[in-house]
Amino acid sequence: MNLMEFEEVFSSKPRMKILKLLNTLGQLNVSDIARRIKINFATTDEHLRVLESEGILKQYLYGRVRLYSFNEASEKARVIRKLIQVWEQTKQL
Amino acid sequence: MTHQSVFRDESKLDINYLPARMFHRDRESRLLMEFFSFLTRCPDRMSQRVIVTGEVGTGKTVLCQTFGKNISIEVGKKGIKFRYIHVNCREYRGNLAHVLHQAVTVFRSNFPSRGYSAGEILQVFLQVLEEEQVFVILALDEFDSLIEKEGSDAVYELTRLHEMHQGKPQRVSFIFIQRNLLSFRVLDDSSQSTLQRNIVNLERYGKESLRDILDDRVKLAFEIATVSEDVVCLIAELSSAETGNARFGIELLWRSGKYADAQDAECVEPECVRQAVSTIIPTVKRSELNGLGLHEKMLLLAVARHFKENKDAFATLTEVEEAYTVICEEYEEKSYSHTQLWKYLQRFTQMGLVKTEVGSVTSRGRSTMISLPTIPAGELERELYILLKMEHR
Repeated sequence: MNLMEFEEVFSSKPRMKILKLLNTLGQLNVSDIARRIKINFATTDEHLRVLESEGILKQYLYGRVRLYSFNEASEKARVIRKLIQVWEQTKQL
Repeated sequence: MTHQSVFRDESKLDINYLPARMFHRDRESRLLMEFFSFLTRCPDRMSQRVIVTGEVGTGKTVLCQTFGKNISIEVGKKGIKFRYIHVNCREYRGNLAHVLHQAVTVFRSNFPSRGYSAGEILQVFLQVLEEEQVFVILALDEFDSLIEKEGSDAVYELTRLHEMHQGKPQRVSFIFIQRNLLSFRVLDDSSQSTLQRNIVNLERYGKESLRDILDDRVKLAFEIATVSEDVVCLIAELSSAETGNARFGIELLWRSGKYADAQDAECVEPECVRQAVSTIIPTVKRSELNGLGLHEKMLLLAVARHFKENKDAFATLTEVEEAYTVICEEYEEKSYSHTQLWKYLQRFTQMGLVKTEVGSVTSRGRSTMISLPTIPAGELERELYILLKMEHR
């Protein structure tokens, strides 16, 4: 499995938006994520697959429905969530 | 100066408030616990279906929710993951897919709500339960609305879940809540046979039971000494007449408190109850009063005047007769005998204008206790004055 470079993963604004969204709402399906970050389904799906292959997100499949959330077992996911929380708290000060 | 409210905490009279203790439903509570006792011993080996029936305001929802709270604690003590899920089917227009979606969102809060059939969402529900390794009781309130909308197939699908999941733990048990079993008639034989085994029927509350329920709510919701025993008794009487509807009684209690507050009263008077109930049930029917004879009107005026001038919830026939004699003098009429007045009183009872019941037995016989539960005394008096004036022109 070819993992991406750190800067490649974090250089995408839509990916950052997805991570922020899932940090707030927990678990969402692809269409819902696409609607909320205002980009099309296919592109959203691509970004989600990148984050999943990096082990940051986890996909749950229910028939036709794919839900994504942070992968609780991943160290990367925990650190990213912490970073977002600290960032958001600092913004409020 | 702001007037102090008679309420201490009116949220205790809210329709969604779940009381810590449920009165006069111990037997039914125990029965439910027995039906589901396997959850504390061998939750994965079986599932159960129970039907809870009872008229409006007999405590079906409160019984099930209280049971849900208690069994969650009991099962939790054994280290078993368990959830009690209560869904009102009518809120989702009896649509099985929407009802099941609501159950799914307990575990997957953002699960998409549109575009899935009932069958698909049922599969999702079972998958989620497997993932979470959790056992659930799904209580479907107002289940008749679901039967009406979805018919036999949906019920059959729900009740044969264990066949879809053979070899896996039985994770879902059901409580079906509805007024009676009549709606099951539309189901086919196989659906009926899977349902009608364990039935918990809630009888209507009697007046005494309603008094206990109302007494409890008075203690929780009102300031001390703002609601007298007589007022509780009057509301219990009215709720008892409303098919033993406790919800009606609790709502009436709240509304009476509101009338008391609006009048800056220090306590809830029987007149507040009468005013409150007249906003719930249309009562004073002018045509009915117009059809009464002269002495009937005068006797009814005596009842109204007695309750307007006194704060009592109940009056004896003797007290009403005294007021009637005074009214006869005012209108220069000869008063009728006790027996005739008693007959008039029976007619008023039949018409729903007053309520009578046999009170204490004294050396002179039984005394009749009269109450004016549904009409504000002032309003009745005003109406009768107008009618008597027209008759005496």
